[in-house]
Amino acid sequence: MLFHVDTDNGIPIYEQIARQVKFAVANSALQVGEHVPSVREMATRLAVNPNTVARAYRELQAEGVLVPIRGTGLAVTPEAPRICNDDRLELIRQRLRSVLAEARRSELGDDEIRQLFDSELSSLPAITAESAPATSSK
Amino acid sequence: MRPVVHLDNVTKRYPNVTALENVSLEIPPGVVCALLGANGAGKTTAIRILLGLEQVDSGTASVLGIDSSTGGLEIRSRVGYVAERPTLYDWMTVEEIGWFAAGFYPLGYAETYNRYIRRFGLDARKRIRELSKGMRAKVALSLSLAHSPDLLILDEPTSGLDALVRREFLESMVDVAAEGRSVLLSSHQVAEVERVADMVAILLGGKLVCVERLEELKRTTREVVVTLPDATTPPPSMPGQVLAHVPFAHEHVWMVRDLDEARLAEVCRDAGPYTVRSPGLEDILLALLREYRSPAGAARSRLDERVESTPVTPPQ
Repeated sequence: MLFHVDTDNGIPIYEQIARQVKFAVANSALQVGEHVPSVREMATRLAVNPNTVARAYRELQAEGVLVPIRGTGLAVTPEAPRICNDDRLELIRQRLRSVLAEARRSELGDDEIRQLFDSELSSLPAITAESAPATSSK
Repeated sequence: MRPVVHLDNVTKRYPNVTALENVSLEIPPGVVCALLGANGAGKTTAIRILLGLEQVDSGTASVLGIDSSTGGLEIRSRVGYVAERPTLYDWMTVEEIGWFAAGFYPLGYAETYNRYIRRFGLDARKRIRELSKGMRAKVALSLSLAHSPDLLILDEPTSGLDALVRREFLESMVDVAAEGRSVLLSSHQVAEVERVADMVAILLGGKLVCVERLEELKRTTREVVVTLPDATTPPPSMPGQVLAHVPFAHEHVWMVRDLDEARLAEVCRDAGPYTVRSPGLEDILLALLREYRSPAGAARSRLDERVESTPVTPPQ
């Protein structure tokens, strides 16, 4: 699990940490029942304020992604993979939306946008059956 | 809870310059507070007053409840302090200077010091004069941490140090904060401050223009850019508290607190296209500095309004 914090991208640091935990759960780098690093360990590793990490963990608990295990720390809940997959989809949808808005502002036509999208998509490495994420069918 | 650092209406004048003017600041326990501002803004003076190394002309200063004007010695024995250019006896070895300092502190100091020395990968037998700038800074930091102070004061600790040493300093600061102890940090490394600070205090020309939780400052501040159609169109008046306004040809940039975005849309209908974004700490600081240094900004003296230090809730 490699976490990274960027102070320039306009996203609050606690949010970046929460997102990265979710992404780690979504792509199985963090599995159900596994512990996240302690607040102190995570804060030191990222060189960020411990309160910021604590806040990220609190939000993840509120969303049902993490649960405190008595005396040992915070663990990934059984529901977390589903929540995180949905979240990841939503996050990608948001990003796509902002890119599309920018394309529209620069007065690209629908066909041009589709062409760009298709050419980018086809240049991605193909997904093999095993590495395909188990997306929930909602 | 009693604040660990308290400045109340502090003014300090030197023959040619007013270093601090009516500065009031309270830092609650367990908080990492960053002191920001240009060179010569009064940051070091404020720290030296707190430590009892300088006397105030008016107002009061205290640290851990001890009056700085009379209790400097006790304060200095209870806080950890790393000066920008730490003075160390350079004929001593790394280990000797630890033993030497241990004489001023309760038992256990030398052991803790040696633990830091090992953690920072310093050679205990080397003489201080043989150390690089980064290694000297690590010795100074180890000396300031070895008595587990309730408050760590760092005056531009990482200026001129390489990225790895800076990171190690940051990690030590985080470690201190994780134990619920307080840190007062003066720094020019805004990106670092943004990572570790709970609250920021911004000094401009000896005046405190902003004391606030960093998260709150960022949450409530917006950068507005308006492109006016021509030079004759007057810039719109911003619906919100303007921290800074920097015109650049037809483009005007504002840093605004508590922006009313609905009203902004109205006032900009005649003015021209505009964008709103959430600025980082560096953007906010630069805008304040530019505003302060521009003649127009000084004339408006918008920053002269005294900013009350808002109470900051300590972390759980």
